[in-house]
Amino acid sequence: MTTSKKNIVMREKDMQKVSAQQKVVQALVKVGVYAFLLVMALIVLFPFYWMLISSVKTLEEYRMSVPTFWPQKIMLSNYVEAFTTANLGRLFLNTLYVGLVSTLLSLVITILCAFAFARLEFKGKETLFGLMLATMMIPGELFTITNYQTVTQLGWLNTFTVLIVPFLVSVFYIYLLKQNFMQIPNELYLAAKVDGTSDIKYLCKVMIPLALPTLISITILKMMGAWNSYIWPRLVANDAEHRLITNGLRNAFTETTGDVNYPVQMAAVAIVSAPLFLVFIFLRKYIMAGVSRSGIKG
Amino acid sequence: MVDNKQQWKAWLYLSPAIILLLVFTVWPIINTLRMAFLEGYSAQAEVGGATFEFGIGNFLKVIEYKKFLQCMQNTILLCVLTVPISTLLALLIAVALNSIKGLQKILQTIFFLPYVTNSIAIGMVFAAMFNIVGSFHGTENEIIQTAGIINNVIEFFGGERVNWINAGSQYWANITVMVVYIVWNALPFKILVLLGGLQSINAQYYDAAKVDGTSRSRVFARITVPLLSPMLAYVIITGFIGGFKEYTSIVGIFGETMGPPDAPGRLNTMVGFVYEALENKHQGRASAAALILFVIILIVTRLNMRFGKKSVYY
Amino acid sequence: MKKRILSMLLVLVMAVSMLAGCGTGSGNATANFDVPEGGYDGSEVTITFYHTMGQNLRDVLDLYIAEFNKLYPNIHIVHEQVGSYDDVREQIATQITTGAQPNIAYCYPDHVAMYNISKAVVTLDNLIASEEVVTRADGTTETLGLTKEQIDDFIAGYYNEGKEFGDDLMYTLPLSKSTEVLYYNKTFFEENNLSVPKTWDELEALCKKIKEIDPTSIPLGYDSEANWFITMCEQLGTDYTSATGDHYLFDNEENHAFVKEFREWYQSGLLTTQTLYGAYTSGLFTNSDPSSATSYMSIGSSAGATHQRPAKGEDGNYPFEVGIATIPQADPENPKVISQGPSLCIFQKENPQEVIASWLFVKFLTTNVDFQAEFSSASGYVPVLKSVAEHEGYKAFLDSADGGDNIAALSAKICMEQEEAYYTSPAFNGSSTARDEVGALLTKCLSAETSDVDALIKEAFADAIDECEYNE
Repeated sequence: MTTSKKNIVMREKDMQKVSAQQKVVQALVKVGVYAFLLVMALIVLFPFYWMLISSVKTLEEYRMSVPTFWPQKIMLSNYVEAFTTANLGRLFLNTLYVGLVSTLLSLVITILCAFAFARLEFKGKETLFGLMLATMMIPGELFTITNYQTVTQLGWLNTFTVLIVPFLVSVFYIYLLKQNFMQIPNELYLAAKVDGTSDIKYLCKVMIPLALPTLISITILKMMGAWNSYIWPRLVANDAEHRLITNGLRNAFTETTGDVNYPVQMAAVAIVSAPLFLVFIFLRKYIMAGVSRSGIKG
Repeated sequence: MVDNKQQWKAWLYLSPAIILLLVFTVWPIINTLRMAFLEGYSAQAEVGGATFEFGIGNFLKVIEYKKFLQCMQNTILLCVLTVPISTLLALLIAVALNSIKGLQKILQTIFFLPYVTNSIAIGMVFAAMFNIVGSFHGTENEIIQTAGIINNVIEFFGGERVNWINAGSQYWANITVMVVYIVWNALPFKILVLLGGLQSINAQYYDAAKVDGTSRSRVFARITVPLLSPMLAYVIITGFIGGFKEYTSIVGIFGETMGPPDAPGRLNTMVGFVYEALENKHQGRASAAALILFVIILIVTRLNMRFGKKSVYY
Repeated sequence: MKKRILSMLLVLVMAVSMLAGCGTGSGNATANFDVPEGGYDGSEVTITFYHTMGQNLRDVLDLYIAEFNKLYPNIHIVHEQVGSYDDVREQIATQITTGAQPNIAYCYPDHVAMYNISKAVVTLDNLIASEEVVTRADGTTETLGLTKEQIDDFIAGYYNEGKEFGDDLMYTLPLSKSTEVLYYNKTFFEENNLSVPKTWDELEALCKKIKEIDPTSIPLGYDSEANWFITMCEQLGTDYTSATGDHYLFDNEENHAFVKEFREWYQSGLLTTQTLYGAYTSGLFTNSDPSSATSYMSIGSSAGATHQRPAKGEDGNYPFEVGIATIPQADPENPKVISQGPSLCIFQKENPQEVIASWLFVKFLTTNVDFQAEFSSASGYVPVLKSVAEHEGYKAFLDSADGGDNIAALSAKICMEQEEAYYTSPAFNGSSTARDEVGALLTKCLSAETSDVDALIKEAFADAIDECEYNE
């Protein structure tokens, strides 16, 4: 009996000790967690730091065999040069136009499609959807040559159409929105139908407001896509009137000798990335939500 | 029952998407198949008046290529290494982020930054960090101008400098660099998904565990991971699909030679092989290789899903 | 699901076999171009021209397009900088499949070989030989073809590059050229009483001597491994490639021998190359930091002279003077240096007037002494006409040559002096692969660790040949 009592007392003491110990451990863990996160954050940030300091170096310093971690002389003129040589104003406008129009059209198509898949019954629905998903697994590069032939035959070269139309449909966005629509109870739709509300009205009044976060995510991703696209625009619309930003940048900094002024180019990349970063910081929530569901880059 | 009006309406709503898909996706796929089964097909030669026989010569040509196995091996090796490492690291970071209050938003934003960048441009930065400028590495005449920031750090801690990506570098060193870069690139997406998952786990589970006095590691293994398993399965599957399409990250580090200067093509991948064939205007061969890749991805995804179904707790 | 995939596949296979049954499209390109009666008929045509010129060169070009339009107001030239040389090639190769290619483009022989698979490049022989007379807007006339004087005015090595396609037909005209030259640290050479090497043997001895003077140096940096290999074949008269028959001939004993010799040089620290060094060797050459290694010679592009000049010191002077010379030779009596830089080719079009108009413009750019002089001074490239040396503006440019501020002029001057030495290698579909492969093979053979050098070299050559044949 006494031994067991003793045991209980011992255990209580232990408990106290343990909780004190736990506090220390907890504090240590917390320090560890922060240290880990900060170190990882530094690793993640380093390349960006490198881009920024490279953009203000002189060409000589950039080409030095021993890289410097802080520019000896800060050349903000690189930014001015980048802006003027690349005629960035026009490029910005073109890109904005293509981005806006293609986003708008793409949203309409995606909404209609997702609605049909989520709310309407028709023969071959599952098969069609499965087939559409399967197309996503093929490396897109293979499409380039065939699509190029198609748009040439349509006479679309060097127009805005060719930059907008071929990529209006994204199976992934349809999938994304369909999932979202399906979470909206079907009863709402049936009730609306009894009231004699048209599909379009129902879409505008109920579905779209409810799925707004997804739609915003899609918009942003689509705009990012227009901002970053390179291979296709270069091939089909590389004249001064229709050139988009990435191409414009690249063209502006290639010289006959094949020797590129890298710091100025880095400055240009920084200028072009700036809007993306700003959009990202202000609309972080939507972008993250969209990305985590789609997994598509730009 | 399916009523006729719905049928009619559905196809009307779907029509814009279907028409565009037929023209810009389905037709290219059919054309890819056509090119893959025409012996030695080249669109450039076709314009020049050449004709091609129907056959499986392109597939044979791809398979008999000496370095095809090497491409497969690299692709698989990078997949097998980077997917677990990046998933584990992302899980740790996500759990850590979830457990703190201060700085959470800022850190979260920082970890997402690599997502909004061009992987080739940042690849150049990485290459510069690993690059040794100098000559005759490893001989008595060795002259090193700069060993790169990574080697500087290793030497600072008393380690030996490694030839990461230059002429004479070892295969494992090349792979290490690639793994670091690919993991860096893959982290933001995974952290995002996993953190989202963690934040949706009901706090009651943890409270219950606290009452029971369950240890941290036990909580992690018994509660966090199972409840997170759908998200884990998701990042692993997308990781594998992305891994099999690995290409631009290698161009970012090694350039179009896809390997150190004395061993070009040593790190070439399946998609790299497709690109090379396209570059040489062998569209038939490229199509055949892409189809092979497509089948592999299909198989791996299905395996993953089957495996996933067994281990995912909903 | 499985059944669905199967049925899908079946449908696709059927679709494929149907398509295959339809056969393939027919080419509409002709192998040759016949000059229509009367030559250029004065009709309105728009000519597109793809190039890689930066802004300063585009300004020069615009100036001369205005000049050209005084003679031919109905020929409208639209020119576009597409990107790098590779971008130009890729874009045109794709556009050819739909007939959307430009009229004129910057080209290297390898590019033309690729376009030739599609038979898309106009052969120039009939145009050059044409004696049709064209009346210009200012009332004067010109012969459509090239006169004998015009042909003779071209530097022969550059002109002949247009015929390196194995069929003796002319496909391109040279626009502006560059080559490899030897840059050396003149100040150091004078201080130590060293003389500029004329042969490879002299170079080896010199490198050893420099190594004694400065043991931490790498005496020579060679930027392009591929150029080195190909130039050695040319200088020694050994086989490299052939445009006809068996293409890849470089796997032979003589070539093994020089590779082995260079390996010894590299292993004993006498030289390095761009990929082995991990950066441009000009960085090593212009390095003025005494604590790190430097080189005293550098072989690189003549168009990159300004990069071989060290940065000015605090006192506003260059730390050393740069000298430029012809690269070392196997036989100084019969020197060989590589010819690089853009040529122009003309593409097939349905309207023969477009082709004729393109030709008139190409002819204008390549034979106009003023344009050649101005373009060369602006670009650092070398003009392709001998008579440019007599051009007043260009003469003044050359006379200003020195090893400091006017290093570009010095480089151009050396290039002009060795006009007899230029060679180009055969161009065929696969010649660019051969070039890449020999570069990689040399890099590998110089640096790889091995106990059996001969086996290493043999294997590297065999691999390179395999790779060339596979990618053809």
